[in-house]
Amino acid sequence: MANNESCYVIIGASAAGMAAAEAIRQSDSTGVITVLSEEPVQPYFRPMIPFLISGKKSAADMTLIGQGPYSGTGIDVKLNSRAEGIDTKNQTVMIQGGDLVSYDRLLIATGSRPYIPPEIEGTEAEGVFALRTLMDASAAADRASEADHVVMLGGGLLNLKAAFALLERGLDVTLVVYSPEVLSQLMEPDDAVLIRDALNNAGLKIMTGCSATHILSRKGGVNGVLLDNGQEMSCQMVCIGKGVFPNVNFLQQSDVQVDQGVVVDRFTACNAANVFAAGDVAVTFDPITGDRIVTGLWTNAVEMGRCAGYNMAGRTTEYTGTFGILNATQVADEPFVSMGIVHTSGTDYETHVFSTQHTYRKLVFSEDGERLVGAVFIGDISHAGLYRYVIREKMNVAKIKPFIIKQTLHYGHLMLP
Amino acid sequence: MAQPKEIFVRLDRCLGCHSCELACAVEHSQSKSLYSAISEKPTPQSRVYVEWVAPDNRLPVLCRHCEDAPCMHACICGAISRTEEGVVLTNTNKCIGCWTCVMVCPYGVIGRHLEEHKAYRCDRCPDLEMPACVSSCPTKALVYRTVDDFSKDVRKVASREMLSGEGG
Repeated sequence: MANNESCYVIIGASAAGMAAAEAIRQSDSTGVITVLSEEPVQPYFRPMIPFLISGKKSAADMTLIGQGPYSGTGIDVKLNSRAEGIDTKNQTVMIQGGDLVSYDRLLIATGSRPYIPPEIEGTEAEGVFALRTLMDASAAADRASEADHVVMLGGGLLNLKAAFALLERGLDVTLVVYSPEVLSQLMEPDDAVLIRDALNNAGLKIMTGCSATHILSRKGGVNGVLLDNGQEMSCQMVCIGKGVFPNVNFLQQSDVQVDQGVVVDRFTACNAANVFAAGDVAVTFDPITGDRIVTGLWTNAVEMGRCAGYNMAGRTTEYTGTFGILNATQVADEPFVSMGIVHTSGTDYETHVFSTQHTYRKLVFSEDGERLVGAVFIGDISHAGLYRYVIREKMNVAKIKPFIIKQTLHYGHLMLP
Repeated sequence: MAQPKEIFVRLDRCLGCHSCELACAVEHSQSKSLYSAISEKPTPQSRVYVEWVAPDNRLPVLCRHCEDAPCMHACICGAISRTEEGVVLTNTNKCIGCWTCVMVCPYGVIGRHLEEHKAYRCDRCPDLEMPACVSSCPTKALVYRTVDDFSKDVRKVASREMLSGEGG
């Protein structure tokens, strides 16, 4: 069949990949779109997998296709098709089993995988999880049904969400955090007081300033954890949440430039012709600091994936970068938002804190006080998007600074002179 | 498809009476009556916010149902989608209350229903011919028109003003 239709191949069927597929379909109604997924199940909303552990949602509730903005037709998702390598000269992708898939335009959206600290011994044991996929969560849910006590290694958002899912099932959960406080990537210890209180009230046991050295196991899997302070805890399940790193191994033999993640230009294009990258696997940049960053956030991945999709389909679209920190969620009963520059100890950033019994709002301005560069909101997170907008647009805040500091900013202040 | 109607704001007409907020909350109550809505649980919430800017400006702010809706793309559970009429809707059943939409909305018009742990915003009153806020506005500061009709209105007013200026 002779055709003039473009052949788009996307490696990875999660946030960036599916958002790109959607954007391509918006711009090119006839192009052939093939999405290669290494997973055995149809695309799903990955951030929802903790609900599989709590039992509050089923896998079917997490399906991506047909939900939200994902309504494009003619997007062929090939499951169990892990990319093993790419040949940028002949424009082909080799998938598991050795088959070759040709492309006119290729998107690398392979995401990231959990970092398992090599210094912890025994991480191979049955009952040790690093939650990343639906299958991981499903296996963790099975294990949880036989466990009484779970030890979580790492105090980041993923582990906190998983910890709450396990608490909801009635399990004892201990969180072991190397940093002095939970969520250290997203806020400073002083900012986290309300969240820490909420976690304590919810029954989560938290140990800070220590880490695991050994995961102990016997027949039947994990049965304990040995900490660097010499303490030994018995448990039947361990979850490791120590961050993620880009899935770039399959690019080793290719000429695609990799520096931690896949390097792209301002239009999400790689150094190799007709190859693009987006999402967790790509190196992006922070518009505030200009720093090169790799992020592991759904929202960022979607934004970058859409941008890549438009570029692949010929609608030239500049990617404007993303904050390294851009998180909103609710842990225990405490909602919070953290975005932009939030770590200010020992710096000259101008900070303003508004704090009550139930609310904590910290604002970070540039050293000269002319621009807002970051914010942490806990409890009352209202109008967070407006503050994000002010940060992102690098607005000169002279006229609206009093409203920002008093936490009364609203859209009218931005719209009316 | 016919061009859908949208809610426009005529800033010069808003008196800041907050009637729209009240009407919105009542329309989004179970009883749809002010008297019973007051005591309802969960508490009915308004999705329009009348803001004030010095020295003397009032501004009703509500969801613009953005063409490139950041909330819809940012949503981590697929709860936000666009209807054929162009309305960006939050599916309450799917919403998990993660507040990502609150974090990315540049207008600050997505509310958090604390009792229900769900996000809410203007749905343009799907059961009504005209959204409740628009019907309730005593000064017609809120209008429900298509983009073309609204800009035609604006042009008419402008040309009338120009003509009367020349004539006078």
